[in-house]
Parts: sequence; C-alpha cells; structure tokens
Amino acid sequence: MTAIALSVGSGGFAYFLPAVSEAFDATGQVVDVPSPTPTPTGTVGPTPSPTTRTPGSFTVLLLGSDNDTKFIGDHVLTQSMIIVRVNTNTKKVVMMSIPRDLWVPLSTGGTAKIDGAYSYGGPGAAIATVENNFGIHIDDYIWIGLAGLVHVIDAIGGIDVVTSAPVLDDFYPHDIGKGNPYRYLRVAVLAGPQHLDGTHALEYVRSRHNDLQSDFGRSQRQQQVLLALKAKAAEISAADVPGLAAAMKGQIKTSMSLQRIATLLPVAASLDIKKIQQIVLLPPYTHGCGCPQGYVIPVWSLILPLVQTYFP
Amino acid sequence: MISRFVLAAGLALLMVFSGIGSYVYLGTRQSNLTAAPQEPTAASPSPGAFSLPGTLFMTQSGAIYSLSAGRFHQLTTAAGWTQLAPYPSSNLLAVKRSQLSSDVYVVNRLGRVLRRLTNNTAPSTNYDPSARHWSFYPRLSRNNKTLFMSYDKPKFGFDVPMSIWAVPLGGTIQQGRLWSIAIDYTGGDMQPLPLASGALIYTKYLYGPEGKLVSQIWITNQPEVPYGGNVLAPPAGLGHGRPLTKPEEDCAQPSLSPNGKTIAMICTHETQVSDLTLASFNGSTLGPRRSVITNQLVAQPTWAPDSSGIAYLAPAQLGQGFQLWWLPKNAYAPPAPSPVPTPIPTPGGPVSSPVPTPTPSPAPAAPVIKPVQITTNLGFDATSPMVWIT
Repeated sequence: MTAIALSVGSGGFAYFLPAVSEAFDATGQVVDVPSPTPTPTGTVGPTPSPTTRTPGSFTVLLLGSDNDTKFIGDHVLTQSMIIVRVNTNTKKVVMMSIPRDLWVPLSTGGTAKIDGAYSYGGPGAAIATVENNFGIHIDDYIWIGLAGLVHVIDAIGGIDVVTSAPVLDDFYPHDIGKGNPYRYLRVAVLAGPQHLDGTHALEYVRSRHNDLQSDFGRSQRQQQVLLALKAKAAEISAADVPGLAAAMKGQIKTSMSLQRIATLLPVAASLDIKKIQQIVLLPPYTHGCGCPQGYVIPVWSLILPLVQTYFP
Repeated sequence: MISRFVLAAGLALLMVFSGIGSYVYLGTRQSNLTAAPQEPTAASPSPGAFSLPGTLFMTQSGAIYSLSAGRFHQLTTAAGWTQLAPYPSSNLLAVKRSQLSSDVYVVNRLGRVLRRLTNNTAPSTNYDPSARHWSFYPRLSRNNKTLFMSYDKPKFGFDVPMSIWAVPLGGTIQQGRLWSIAIDYTGGDMQPLPLASGALIYTKYLYGPEGKLVSQIWITNQPEVPYGGNVLAPPAGLGHGRPLTKPEEDCAQPSLSPNGKTIAMICTHETQVSDLTLASFNGSTLGPRRSVITNQLVAQPTWAPDSSGIAYLAPAQLGQGFQLWWLPKNAYAPPAPSPVPTPIPTPGGPVSSPVPTPTPSPAPAAPVIKPVQITTNLGFDATSPMVWIT
C-alpha cells in the first residue's frame, strides 16, 4: 500500500512539478525597498502621513510593463501601476490607478515620471516611490509583462468584458513577437459586451492614442480587464495550475510567497466584484503640464485626502 | 507459491500504472476554461431552436452560420466574416475583416460572395496606416439604394473616430456623404439604423458626466453639419442630431421591432453588466425604458420577423463565450389578463338587508417567462449583429 501511495504521489508530483518550479521562480522575489531619498531642492514633493499597516488588510502594487526587445533586461517602464487594497474582514477592495506620467520624486533620487522608478531601481524602487509619495504601505507587488498578460488571458480561455467604447489605433506598437519592434499595427477593438482573447485584451488595455484621457482612459480599461480576470479566475481548478504556470513562464514576478498566495486565493474567490471601488486620478486630482514631455502634475492637496479616505 | 521475482515485477507494474494513472487523472480534472468553442454545426441546439421561425444568421470565429429548423449550417469558411445585415432577396450584407482593414460584401444565403461594395485596402508597399480604412456595421436604406456604414473618415493622426457615411449602393466613398459628426477621441459613431422616414438612428460614443466614455443612441433627420472642435457633444438643433437616451444609461446596439414601434437595445449604466432594455418609439422620441433582462451580459438583440420574441447573445457562464438565447414575446409583453367577471347579486333577499357584495377572487398571477438558452459551448461573435429573415 505504501508503494502504491508513493507512486500515486509521484504521479501527482510529476504533474505539478513544472508549476511548482515556475512558481518558485516567480514568487518570493526579494525586494530591496530603498529608504526615502531627500527631495531635491526646488522640487515640491508631497508630505503624506507615514505609512502604516492596516489590520486585516493587505495592499498589493500591480505593475505592468512593456518588456519587448526595445528594452534591455529588467530596465523597463511600468505602463500600468495599480494599487489594490483588500480588507479581508469587510471584503472591501479598492483599486487606484496611478498615471504612468505622474511627475514625482523617485526613491532612486531626482524627480521624473513615476513609470521610470521600476526602470531605475526595480520593484523595490517602484514600491518605495509609491509609499513615499502616497503614504500607502505596500505589502507585496506583482509584475507582469506584455506577453504575460496575453498568455494568462489565453490560458484561462479569454475573458468576457463590456468594452466601453471602440478603441481604434492606427499606430499601435507591433512589438509582441518577432520582427522589428518599431513597426505599427492598425487595431480596432469594437465596443460592447464581448469575449476577448489575450491579444485583443492587450490591445484594449494598452492603446492610448484614441482616448482624450490618454493614460487615464487606459487605466479605466485596465481595471475593467482586471475585474474580468478576477471573475474568470474563480473558475480555475488546481489541475489547471500547471498549464497556467507554463503560460506565465518568466512573464510574472511577485514578492508573495507560495504560502501567502495559497492563503489569499480563497479570499480572492470570496470577493464581490460589484463591491470593488475603482479610482482613477483624473483631473482635478492631476493636470497636464502643457509641456512637450507630457508629464502629469499631481495635486497632492486633493490626492492625499483621497488616499486617506480609501487607503486608511 | 508466487516467486519473489513475480511479486516484485507485479508491484513495480502496479506502481507504474498508479503513478501514470494519477498523472492522467489530474489532467482530466482540468476545468474547461481553455476549451475552444464548439463549431455550431457540431453542436446540438436545445429543443427551443426548433420553434424559432425563419432563418437566423450569425458569425463565429470569422465564419457565417445560419440556424433554421433547429440545425446550424456553415455558410463560409472562417475568413474574417462579421457584422451581418439584411439585403434584398434574402441575401446578406457582411463585413470581411483583415488585420489592417475591413470591407463590405454582399453574400447570398448559401455563403457565396455576390459583390464587393467597398475597397478599403492599400497596396502592400504603402506603409501609411492612414491609407487603409475600416468599414463596420453596414445597413441598407429602406429604399435599398444607399449603403449606410460606420467608416473611419475623417481621421486625424492618432485620432481615428468612426463616422456614419451614406454611399450610393455600388458607388465609391468619394460619392458618399458624411451623415454624423463624431466626437474626437471617443471611437466615434457606430451601428447606423436607417428608418423608413429617412431619419437615421445610430450609437454615438462620448464622454459622460463623470468623464467616462459612454454610448448614447442618437437620431438625426439629415446629414449633420460640422460645428468645429468636435470634442464636446454637438449643440442642439442647427442641423445636428439629438440624443434619444441619457449618457448615464450607456445604451447601444439599437434594434427596431418589425412594426417600428419599439426599440430593443442594450444599456450598461456604465457597469460591466448589460441589460436588454425596451422602449416604445414614435418616430422621434423614446418612451419609458423597461429592462427585461438584467442579470446577463446581453449583446445584439434581434427581433423575430414575426414579432414572436427577441433573440440575443449572452454567456451562460461569465467568461465561457456568447451563446444564443431566445426571449419569447410573453416574457416582455404578456397578454392582457382576461377581464374579471363582475358578479351580479341575485335578487330575492329581504329588502331591508343590504345586498351582499361578493368579493372577486384575485386574478391568477401570470407565469414568469424566462429566456431560453438555445446553444451551449459555442462562441458567437458578440460584436456582430445577427440577421433574422422569414
């Protein structure tokens, strides 16, 4: 009996081995969060309250990046930064998108667009920059590359989403896959309820040319797709994990340990999508600079009270 | 007495089988998340399909299918076909979409291409993306002489709004006329619906009161005139259309009933749920809204040609692809209850006593008619209108 039990166990081990291997590679990333750097003279930075942990809740920084061949190694810009706070007691979730062009003091020194923090100092710098500016304690981060998003959505069989408006772009980067990454593609994601595969979901959340709100509009679309992903993820069974792990290979990294992920999965499944609070820092919380660099100026006097309300 | 060797070999074999067996068993326990949708012709529609009148045309994975007498038939290969509309003699208008552009064709009910109506491609040596165009949501005018469609002209660099164009059937876009003035950086105007009166209903995308992009159903009696700027919604009057719905209702995909007196549409109220909403229509305004399906992701409501109900697409389970559903007329327009007979007191009692007033028994509650799911495990294109003909 022992021998048979062992062989059954070894069969299961062989089944889950690739997933476990990939999971060990992707999870438990060590984050070196630098201590705050003094704001350079002449730069007006925010003065948030010191970051504190809220009992019964945890906060994750979601980072999405271009990571095609236009970039070298891990020095990528984060096109998407979303802070997600989950209160495990009340089952309340708040998602706040940070504009990628937000002009802030970086934890690595100097002032620049916030999307550069990851490029200059990896996830630790991105986390520290968010903590220093917004006064929100970040427990963990999850980073995903462009191809990773496509693979994840395809691995779960696509998502159902209501696209709020047609997304038409004559200059969409043709940089997923092989060939010259500086080419352009025409994309047209039509509006309304529909089933999107990974490629079209990426087109929907990535294009920002045909949106008056540019990155803000894109942030709203990213949150829609995240919610659709959450809805679909509730149907995943343990036996799907190896396939998903293979799809994510090298495209997802997180500071969360496997044990922590296992603890959080039931919590995630119990959350009610309709109760998720979505925040995008549109004007008057931010405004344009009217400059060629196109950065976005934060209005900290409005943002910090908002943060205090939703991320106490 | 079994020898040790045989025992060891048997045990080893058992271990191999149980090891492989557990591996294979786990593989079979995978959810059907990634299962590709079945081909409609390989599927068995529910018995409800047999009661649907006429022929229903729809698209899945770039192929056109028809459903008649409870059976699906594949009319074309999977070649980018989408967005069907009626065309005379039981033929269809259809969009054929490629990676860089899309064109409108006339296809007969057997799937054979009869005619190409637009030419939106450009030579492969032309690397200018703006040299190519999209045509979406074609519809013929009621007199069958004009092709209405959503077309990406004019466009301005990064800003590619779709506008409604009217082109003489068989003519070129140069002979066409711009009917709607799209709002910049919204995606533009979609889903034209020409009316017998000559007016045009369409879906306009615009920024709602909270700054979110929303859809709104508009009507215009004549081609709209440019008003400059095009970032805000056009001013009322002055040759412009006007909205039939409110921005916060977030309504799109209008579909006119066969008698022209009711519009079915989807309204999302800026959420990720789309209601099937009905409203009476007098030719220029909509009456009160009535949401008849509120718990599904409804798309492409399509009236039965004999007004016996509405077909629509929606997932049976979120994330599992769009299926065909059927909402019988009784679900949204139940027959009027038969009048309750007024009891007449029988004379003959004592004159001084009051005539007893009999209490009528309450009318029986009308049975709740639920939508009927016609297909399972398919994956219809939810951005593609269906066509239903007798």
